[in-house]
Amino acid sequence: MSEKIFGYAGQILRIDLSKKKILKEPLRKDFIKKYIGCTGYAAAILWYELKPKIDPLSPNNKIIFSTGPLTGTFCPCSGSYEICFKSPLTNAFGESRSGGIFGPKMKYAGFDHIIIEGKSDKPVYIWINNGEVEIKDAQHLYGKTVHETTEIILEEIKEPKASVACIGPAGEKLVRFAAVMNDRDRAAGRCGGGAVMGSKNLKAIAINGEKDIEIANPEKFYEFVTEAKNALLKKTALRRFGTINAITVLNAMGALPTKYGYTGFFERAEDVSSERLLSKYLIKRRACFACPIGCGRYSEVKHGIWATPPHEGPEFETTDMLGPWINISNLEAIIKANYLCNNYGLDTISTGNVIAFAIECYEKGWIKEDLVKGIKLEWNNPETMIELIKLIAKREGIGDLLAEGVMRAAEKIGYGAPELALHTKGLEMPAHDPRGETRILAIKYAVEYRGGCHVHSGFPGLYDRSPESLNDYGLKEFGLPWPPKGKFIEEGKGIAYRFFAIFGQIPEIMGMCQFASMGSEGNMITIKDYAKIYSSLTGIEMDEYELMKIGERVYNLKRCFNVREGFNRKDDKLPKRMYEPIATGPVKGECVKNLDLMLNEFYESMGWDIKTGIPTFEKLKELGLEDVAEELRKNSIF
Amino acid sequence: MWKNIIIHPEKCTGCHLCELYCSFHHFKINNPSRSRIHVIRSEPYIDSPILCIQCGLCIDFCPVGAIIRNKKNGAINVLIDKCIGCAQCVFVCPYGAATIDPITKKALICDLCNGEPECVKNCPEKVLEYVDATKAVYYKNLIISKLLKKESIPLEPYPK
Repeated sequence: MSEKIFGYAGQILRIDLSKKKILKEPLRKDFIKKYIGCTGYAAAILWYELKPKIDPLSPNNKIIFSTGPLTGTFCPCSGSYEICFKSPLTNAFGESRSGGIFGPKMKYAGFDHIIIEGKSDKPVYIWINNGEVEIKDAQHLYGKTVHETTEIILEEIKEPKASVACIGPAGEKLVRFAAVMNDRDRAAGRCGGGAVMGSKNLKAIAINGEKDIEIANPEKFYEFVTEAKNALLKKTALRRFGTINAITVLNAMGALPTKYGYTGFFERAEDVSSERLLSKYLIKRRACFACPIGCGRYSEVKHGIWATPPHEGPEFETTDMLGPWINISNLEAIIKANYLCNNYGLDTISTGNVIAFAIECYEKGWIKEDLVKGIKLEWNNPETMIELIKLIAKREGIGDLLAEGVMRAAEKIGYGAPELALHTKGLEMPAHDPRGETRILAIKYAVEYRGGCHVHSGFPGLYDRSPESLNDYGLKEFGLPWPPKGKFIEEGKGIAYRFFAIFGQIPEIMGMCQFASMGSEGNMITIKDYAKIYSSLTGIEMDEYELMKIGERVYNLKRCFNVREGFNRKDDKLPKRMYEPIATGPVKGECVKNLDLMLNEFYESMGWDIKTGIPTFEKLKELGLEDVAEELRKNSIF
Repeated sequence: MWKNIIIHPEKCTGCHLCELYCSFHHFKINNPSRSRIHVIRSEPYIDSPILCIQCGLCIDFCPVGAIIRNKKNGAINVLIDKCIGCAQCVFVCPYGAATIDPITKKALICDLCNGEPECVKNCPEKVLEYVDATKAVYYKNLIISKLLKKESIPLEPYPK
């Protein structure tokens, strides 16, 4: 390779499973300049290489394992990788992040991105050792759980330090919300990456490496990242209680999604609180690579019918989606369910959503008895939940229907089900309710490129959650409306969300965890910090304004990917339930009132066409995406 | 008085920051496999750093006299120019704390960062402590007592 690029590994690995061809390509400097890395870079690859309107589960789809420049360095919370693909749930741009040590190992093995193409004729796994790549037979791994697969592969390759990312039985059976699991219990869960991997007959990727990540300005980099690390250490609540702390916090606000969004208040929230987990089931905390926060839980249930071996979890989303969301308050059962989801390779958010959906449909009489086959579809029944998780993972009985995700299941069920289903663009809604939390989540769920999602891109949840905890994420000086007017006031939310959408791209393209960029200026990595850290690592001069520009470019590119697939304003909508008042609790009666107003504001501030919600030709040109705009014109979108 | 690093393994979350700070201090790069401290994860339950206790067994076993004790702080120092990468130190080390650098092919043994260990300074969980001998005795005894409380683990001198 010609000139050294600091921070990056400098190579892309491309594996065509149809032809069993392995190619190593240099990293493109122009792409680094324009998109930095990770999902930004991967979005560009998908834009240029994927044909529009392909079937996400066909060999034409690609799945890209991506790391950013910061991945594998000692920048705090940088132990990430993301998978990017066309999602089988939404048919839109799909991306999903996971922690653990898989991402850093990719960098140490010498690859920034791994592109998987085509489809193998029989199950295989890939073993990457320090730049050497081998495609190995995986027929004996077929049907094995995630933990079993990991164990067997580590034994086979005789490298205990390797990291394994694999799919479970759910991914093999093409459950549309199957996850890619790495390092046993870390999940790139959302959007159905596991199904894409399964459709390619790829069971796992094992990776190890011993190469250096070189730093352009070591002294500066050391100073900036150590400062950032010490700032993140101030996140004491997240450190001690983990994300599951949100159960009690949100419940007190009346915003803990309960009984499929019927209400935002769960009377038995104490039973599933972080304190209870801490006192009874938590063994210790476990952190991802280079993470000083360590929000990860490591727990087990020692005795009784819910006895569960030690494993990582449950975190907040899992606890709510497999707990209060199904009206369940049995924490032991939730831990068991989390273990099963991890082991089968299922996204816990989508799984919880679809189970509660089935229960409500059955209650309303929309699901016929012959499909249910003796399963008691009722609220607050942990046995039912466990049974359904198994059926979904194996695609048996009613599980086959639910494995399609709520959107598709609802269409098959008929009656009022499509109106009931809580999803946007086909991605199941998670455990944050825009009616009880800040209304900014409403616009977020509606417009997000990957569907109903609370994290990508950006997490605006703390912006105006309560008068005491207003939070600008260091974005005030870029124009974020300040002070916020109040969490239930919809006017201005569209404008405010623009800043979170753009800033939210920064950790993603850097290869960072969103938790590093969530909080107030003293305990998070702000956009200014990112600029400093990135410059000192790579030697590429970068300031915060340039970074915001890149964030905006990447966000627009992902939007354009969806536009080319046929998405526009009509798809930026919320399920009917979001317009119905919350039934009980402190914010009883609250609901989303005027989404159109927020959408108009957002489109306008983004420089998009208000009628269609599509980035204008001029805007794309201004962002340096002329060729993207031209392609859209060729597809007669303008 | 010479000081030494002690470990509180029960606090470790397995974040590997100590490895990264170690490799950075010595080589100005990030690469855990070039670190002199090793975080292991052994399912179930165990996350812990493994670290040189500065016992000096390797000094006698080095065939070329490349390992010496630093009289100032008591640390083991590898003389890189003399080291031939024969890995005798790796074999003799009872803790698996000595390794061979995958890039330079020379021995890597903790040198206490010249009296200011970076891993201790930067561990977010305070798993590592740099203490003087009297305190070290107490903590080392404590670790032994913890081992005794559980079932003792038979050593497996040769891998299967």
